[in-house]
Amino acid sequence: MLLPLVAAATLLLAPALAVFSDEAWTVDYHFALLGAPKEETSFFHRPNPSSKASLIYTLSEEHALGAVNPRDGSVVWRQLLSPGRDAHNASFLRAGEGEDVVISGIGSEVAAWSAADGKLVWNLNTEGPLEDVEIVELSDGKETAGAKDAMTLSSGSHPTVQRIDGASGAVKWQYRIDGSDAPYQLSASSTQVFAILLHKTILGYVKLRVVALDPVTGRKTDEYTLSSENELATAENIISVGANSASPIIAWTDAAHTTLKVNVVGTKTISSFNIERHDDSAVERVRLHAPYHVNSLSHFLVHYETATSHWAEVYDIDLKNSKVDKAYSLPRVAGKGAFSTSTSDANVYFTRVTRDELSTVSSASHGVLGRWSLSSFGVASGIGEQVEPLHAVSEVSVKGDAVSAIRTTVLLSTGDWVLLRDGKGVWNRPEMLAGTVAVTFAIPANAAALVQQLEVEAHSNPVAAYIHRVRRHIADLQKLPSLLVSMPQRIVKGFLGTSADDLTGSDTFGFRQIIACATRSGRLVALDAGHPDRTLRNMEVADLKPGQSWRPSLSSSKDGVIQLSSMAGAGVDYNATDGQQLAESLPILPDEPDLATSNTVQYTMRGNSLEATYEYNPSWTFTPMHGERILGLVPRPVNDPVASIGKVLGDRRVLYKYLDSNVALLVTAHDESSKASFYVLNTASGAVIYSNVHAGVDLTAPISSIMSENWFAYSFTNEASDDASKGHQLVIGELFESLIPDDRGAMGAKSNYSSMQTDTEPFTLTQTYQIPEAISKLAVTRTRQGITSRQLLAVLPGSNAIVGIPYGIVDPRRPTNRDPTKDEQAEGLMRYTPVLEFDPKWYLNHQREVVGIKDVVTSPALIESTSLVFAYGLDIFGTRLSPSFSFDILGKDFNKFQMLATVAALAVATFVVAPLVMRKQVDQRWRFL
Amino acid sequence: MLLLKSLAVIALTSAASAARLTVSIPSSPPLLPNPASLGPSTHAILIGPPGVRYEAPIRRDSTFAFPDLAEASYLLTVQSRDYFFPPLRVDVTKAADGTQQETVQAWQTFRGNEWSNKGPFYGSGNGELKIQVQPSSQKDFYQDRGGFNLIGFVKSPMILMALVSVAFIFGMPYIMDNMDPEMKEEFDEMQKKGPLSGSGGAAAQLQNFDMASWLAGKGSGTEKGAGDGGKKR
Repeated sequence: MLLPLVAAATLLLAPALAVFSDEAWTVDYHFALLGAPKEETSFFHRPNPSSKASLIYTLSEEHALGAVNPRDGSVVWRQLLSPGRDAHNASFLRAGEGEDVVISGIGSEVAAWSAADGKLVWNLNTEGPLEDVEIVELSDGKETAGAKDAMTLSSGSHPTVQRIDGASGAVKWQYRIDGSDAPYQLSASSTQVFAILLHKTILGYVKLRVVALDPVTGRKTDEYTLSSENELATAENIISVGANSASPIIAWTDAAHTTLKVNVVGTKTISSFNIERHDDSAVERVRLHAPYHVNSLSHFLVHYETATSHWAEVYDIDLKNSKVDKAYSLPRVAGKGAFSTSTSDANVYFTRVTRDELSTVSSASHGVLGRWSLSSFGVASGIGEQVEPLHAVSEVSVKGDAVSAIRTTVLLSTGDWVLLRDGKGVWNRPEMLAGTVAVTFAIPANAAALVQQLEVEAHSNPVAAYIHRVRRHIADLQKLPSLLVSMPQRIVKGFLGTSADDLTGSDTFGFRQIIACATRSGRLVALDAGHPDRTLRNMEVADLKPGQSWRPSLSSSKDGVIQLSSMAGAGVDYNATDGQQLAESLPILPDEPDLATSNTVQYTMRGNSLEATYEYNPSWTFTPMHGERILGLVPRPVNDPVASIGKVLGDRRVLYKYLDSNVALLVTAHDESSKASFYVLNTASGAVIYSNVHAGVDLTAPISSIMSENWFAYSFTNEASDDASKGHQLVIGELFESLIPDDRGAMGAKSNYSSMQTDTEPFTLTQTYQIPEAISKLAVTRTRQGITSRQLLAVLPGSNAIVGIPYGIVDPRRPTNRDPTKDEQAEGLMRYTPVLEFDPKWYLNHQREVVGIKDVVTSPALIESTSLVFAYGLDIFGTRLSPSFSFDILGKDFNKFQMLATVAALAVATFVVAPLVMRKQVDQRWRFL
Repeated sequence: MLLLKSLAVIALTSAASAARLTVSIPSSPPLLPNPASLGPSTHAILIGPPGVRYEAPIRRDSTFAFPDLAEASYLLTVQSRDYFFPPLRVDVTKAADGTQQETVQAWQTFRGNEWSNKGPFYGSGNGELKIQVQPSSQKDFYQDRGGFNLIGFVKSPMILMALVSVAFIFGMPYIMDNMDPEMKEEFDEMQKKGPLSGSGGAAAQLQNFDMASWLAGKGSGTEKGAGDGGKKR
């Protein structure tokens, strides 16, 4: 009787492991992020020159190039560019006026992308790393119709200026710059191209060397050095080199920001201006905003920033004698501000965003054309934190003397990227999450409070506990009125909706956990897994200086508390719901990188060997063989409940699992022979309980590994050999106490077990599968009791996806070279096939494309069937999984209407049939008697 | 292993004189009538010996270009959000006639088979090769739930049986009423003869079954009848 039941259960399981069409897009959530946009590589541009609609293009700090629809903030297309090997962090994005391509430059690669759909038009690699990319706006009759040429400046051993054909990507000419001066930037006026180089003098100062080139032939026409005297100490003091304007300029300041020097490129006169000090605080930063078009007015704005306030001055250039004059100034305002330049025909407009106001002025006069007050940017921030605008991009349309429409995107100090249309927030993109480095799930504090109260009652004497309980109930009574008010609504919702999407505030199923994300920029962002589109909190927790990095780790060992620690520093606790800090401030200490932590064993890399310390005492050291290096260590998760100590076979016998909480999978690589070794270690004693070596492994490709319950999995890319095919492999191994059913092997006779004095070795079954693409990260679903079967989650960087592979599919007990027996069939085992194709129905992300995922974290929900999944990296993706079907919750498949209709139909049928039956019975009595 | 190392060395040294591979996706109805509909994330990956890997995004003309391939044996996979593409093997070898240009060859390959097991030949070229790759199938991400389906429900044999019996229960009296008197007589006769009807029939015996006497072991005739009735049932 049981056999068919088991078989039926396995049959039922199969479809439940897929993404259902009615749950897709509602249960899962996804932020397609780009990362914080850079000021100089963000702009509005029309992808189709004939249409008026424009998109926002940006090349972000995370090297993601993308187009964002200004209407709703959705990503139209994205390309993740690779910065190459150079640590050089320069990236460029340019778009020619009226062009249908955008040209990006990163590392040493210049590429043109179709502006409308993000497909590659051409790409080209330069010899050295790129220093600048510009578009040649001048028309000389030589360019191909419809495509403007690009100009690049690259450094390296042979600094070169290249002109690239805009249509084909072929090099038209190149000019090698002689000398040892560092190339800095390109600049183009309507007749000439200037390469600006930094010449280091003997005294350590920087002088600007300008090489003028003929744009048509690429020949040098002029060369001169600007006498910047001894005020230019480093390149950082050069605030801007204008490009592609009617009169490109170079501006720099001295180290103390007291004078501003401006030179119109192509002339040798330098105009000098004193920087006025408005208050006691010194000017910290000077920025320059100039229009980017050849035919716009040659005006520019200089933006001064002190620690507490900012102001700006507008200058104009007299084209005839290249004289720079100050036109007017914009008043000082407290806080930070952002300025953006927009052009309309020849007119130039400057838009200013401050903490509480958005205003637009024309470059010609200081009269304000439009002013909107901003109450707030509508983003979550830390307690008492002032949200500041960092930089902005605007699109302005002006009718007569007033702004008729203005769209401004602003990057805020919280990391949000918002769009303001006429001063009102339209959308915000949480771009700070693109730099997420650590994540944890936490139970909300209010849910944890009841648990704490119950614990208090459990641990006090009966009388005190009773009084405490009565008090608690009286306190609960205060909530009664609000409960009564919400009752009708809840009942209606209960009838119309399904129980799974109960969003009336209570979290019966544990789906609304708090996800805390620590970002690279030193912020802690809290999201609600039930309402992920709403950021709960976004606060600065680490005050990082530019260039400083931290390695945060997050955990939530106590309900309602998020613990944040960095490196080896002591942790800081935060309340999960309201973000109140519960303990002292966070120290950031540099230290030896910790690999992982399980239970109380800590692992540290000492040179090339791994040292494990148990309660601060060194317990064992793993030193790899000569020439090997340790790639990583994955311990079994601390919280990894297992419901059954054995596997029930089809004939009701049991295979006992080798369950030990102190096991970890260690991966080492031998570069010379390209071999990868995998060891399963006992982390308490350091004993190797299983090991395997694979030859011909591509050690530059990702090697991912996971350890859970009594099994481990790893994947790698291997090279073709006589007995192996080229491609990617996934290996699954399962540890058993013995391979004979109903037998515990050497463990059977023991009542106690110790890792230190054990002589039992597990029996390991492994199977290898050929998989279609590389796996960069493995994870596993977790449920509350571990009764639910597990799903192996694999991040596929090739197809931008995360797949959930049911464990039954990769069970190492699948019979090889024979068909499964009846008992094995009853268990759900299929015949082993060497190729494992990823069924598209296993793709958790279905049609969404999750890009740049670095890690996946899982957390059990309150109900046993469900596991919460959260993936981060560039994108944020989350969903809920029920690996064994939603057996304890009425999901979307439960049709309430159908059930009610069936009950009603049965009731009607009973009422209709009852008299008939009665009559018939009476008739029958009469007939027989 | 030696072979691998030498390949890696070749990869490093022969970067200057390199081969070019262009993979295009043609219009292949009915699966993919318009290759321009492929998303911008579509890309092709060439995996060579350890450490050698090329990646090319899709171009406006639905092609992937690898301008600079070193001598090696590569696995070519095309990744797209909506379609599966077959894996290919691409070999870049020194030309047999000793000229500067390399020979580029492409075959289909099969996962889980030996690398030497090559499928259909896609083409060969000197220094440059252009091949066309068609999608093998479309990705279907969604599982439809077995929801309520009225026609399917009615078609199931249990429901059909139930419906037929309901029709009999309600229809029989009408048929009996509308029968010819002669026919009715005949029918009654038939029913009387039938084993289930009449006072000696199994049905009657069942109906008049005396439980108490049966339990007491009395009335052997009744007992037998009951037993028979049970068997027939």
